[in-house]
Amino acid sequence: MYGGGNTFEGIKTDSLAQEDPIKLAEFEARIARGEKIEPADWMPALYRKQLIRMIEQHAHSEIIGALPEGTWITRAPGFKRKLALMAKVQDEVGHAQLLYSAAETLGKTREEMIHDLITGKSKYSNIFNYPAFTWADACFISWLVDAGAIVNQLANAKGSYGPYCRALDRICAEESFHLKYGHHCVIFLATGTQKQRDMFQEAINRWWAPMMHFFGPADKISAHTQVLMNWKVKMATNDDTRNQFLDMYVPKIWELGFTIPDPALKKNTDTGRWDYTEPDWEEFKRVINGGGPCNEERLAVRRIAEERGKWVREALRSPKASYVMPLA
Amino acid sequence: MKSLDPRVNRLPETPKDIVPKAPLDQFGTFEVFVQPKEGKPFQHEGIVHAPELEMAYVLAKEAFTRRFTCTSLYVVDTRSVFVSPLAEGTTNAYDLLEQKQEQHSISEDTFEIYHLLKRGKQHVHIGTVKASTPDAAMQQAKTMFNTSTPVMNIWAIRTKDIRFTEESEKDLWGTLPEKKFRDAASYKGGDKLKTFLERNSQAL
Repeated sequence: MYGGGNTFEGIKTDSLAQEDPIKLAEFEARIARGEKIEPADWMPALYRKQLIRMIEQHAHSEIIGALPEGTWITRAPGFKRKLALMAKVQDEVGHAQLLYSAAETLGKTREEMIHDLITGKSKYSNIFNYPAFTWADACFISWLVDAGAIVNQLANAKGSYGPYCRALDRICAEESFHLKYGHHCVIFLATGTQKQRDMFQEAINRWWAPMMHFFGPADKISAHTQVLMNWKVKMATNDDTRNQFLDMYVPKIWELGFTIPDPALKKNTDTGRWDYTEPDWEEFKRVINGGGPCNEERLAVRRIAEERGKWVREALRSPKASYVMPLA
Repeated sequence: MKSLDPRVNRLPETPKDIVPKAPLDQFGTFEVFVQPKEGKPFQHEGIVHAPELEMAYVLAKEAFTRRFTCTSLYVVDTRSVFVSPLAEGTTNAYDLLEQKQEQHSISEDTFEIYHLLKRGKQHVHIGTVKASTPDAAMQQAKTMFNTSTPVMNIWAIRTKDIRFTEESEKDLWGTLPEKKFRDAASYKGGDKLKTFLERNSQAL
């Protein structure tokens, strides 16, 4: 899974002025022809920087995203659900490995990326800073957060950077299992007892706001965003992916007889797009900057994992070392 | 910090000072090749980080072959892969090879040769040659595997540097068909949903 809504602010637009105009024209022509960019190719510094940031955030989101669901493995209802959830969590961590590898081809080392994650310098998808209180929350994540991620990932898989696209193709193939599994879990809750239905309804009520935040605030369509879209770094606007998600999944949620906690939510027959209450972007910013209910916990778990894994890495690094009896 | 997860509550104090990781803390990289089906050529699939070849093999199995999309795999240290120049448009990477002075050497190695036919795709194994140096191996490959189709990029790897799957290890993948819980097709909720919807519409 993956948090979308990449914001591309904070990088100077004029950095393009320093690029070699001939190489830049060739680079843009290649993308326009639909060819992929490979690690050995020339690329503008801005392209490299934005892609590193985007792929790295995606990788961190996979790693951190495994945490709220991972918590539920031991308490998943029944052996089959435990097996499936374990497989899903394993996939998420595997996706992070694929993505870190893709980001590495752009020149940022894995060591640096992990350091930036655990020190809080790099971000990950905001939605994972919320807690999964019940099994229904875990089901919401498996079905709908993954669904949102797939909308983003399918769009990005058509991007211009070869290694990222190849990683995404693999990831999307595995996500289809996550989505089907998530929907399966929700159908079981929806067709179960009143208590089960209430449990899922409460999960929707808790997660709807973060789900709307998931795709990020509306893009300011600047010259800068336009450049990134031409370069096929950003494949769709945040509003477009949010709209696509609503199109695909709101009817499925309603079909099951659940309600969505937004009275303004309806499809506008004139525009063909969804109307909704504007998400609270102040809350979004507050959580991104560390103020969410689980930010501290998510990072602490990763920090301790790094710390506890240290001796294993050290032991592996010197496989020939063996115990020698003291001499005296 | 109070977590919903009792295991998190039992964690020790978070380390306060985080020192930047030393270079290679996460180990070097190894290239992974998988065989998608019996009889099909091996293709490049990605990388793993590992302390050495044998661990790379184990990690590659976990990272790339969790599902039934693979019948075999092998790994090689990234530093052991020799790479040709990358061709453009209709140029052939074989035409970009530098003609090096023929080095006569008594010892010849076998090299595995891989072609990249299209940008954005993966390198695919094309055959094996005998040569004394990687350059000579690419020249040898030019005479053997160069066809009218332009090749974008060529890789050459000494066969002896590769950690192959042995015949006896093939049963590593023997249990994959049993792991239906990893497969989207085993989550069929359609009937349950249909009954539910029918019952609901009758109730109205």
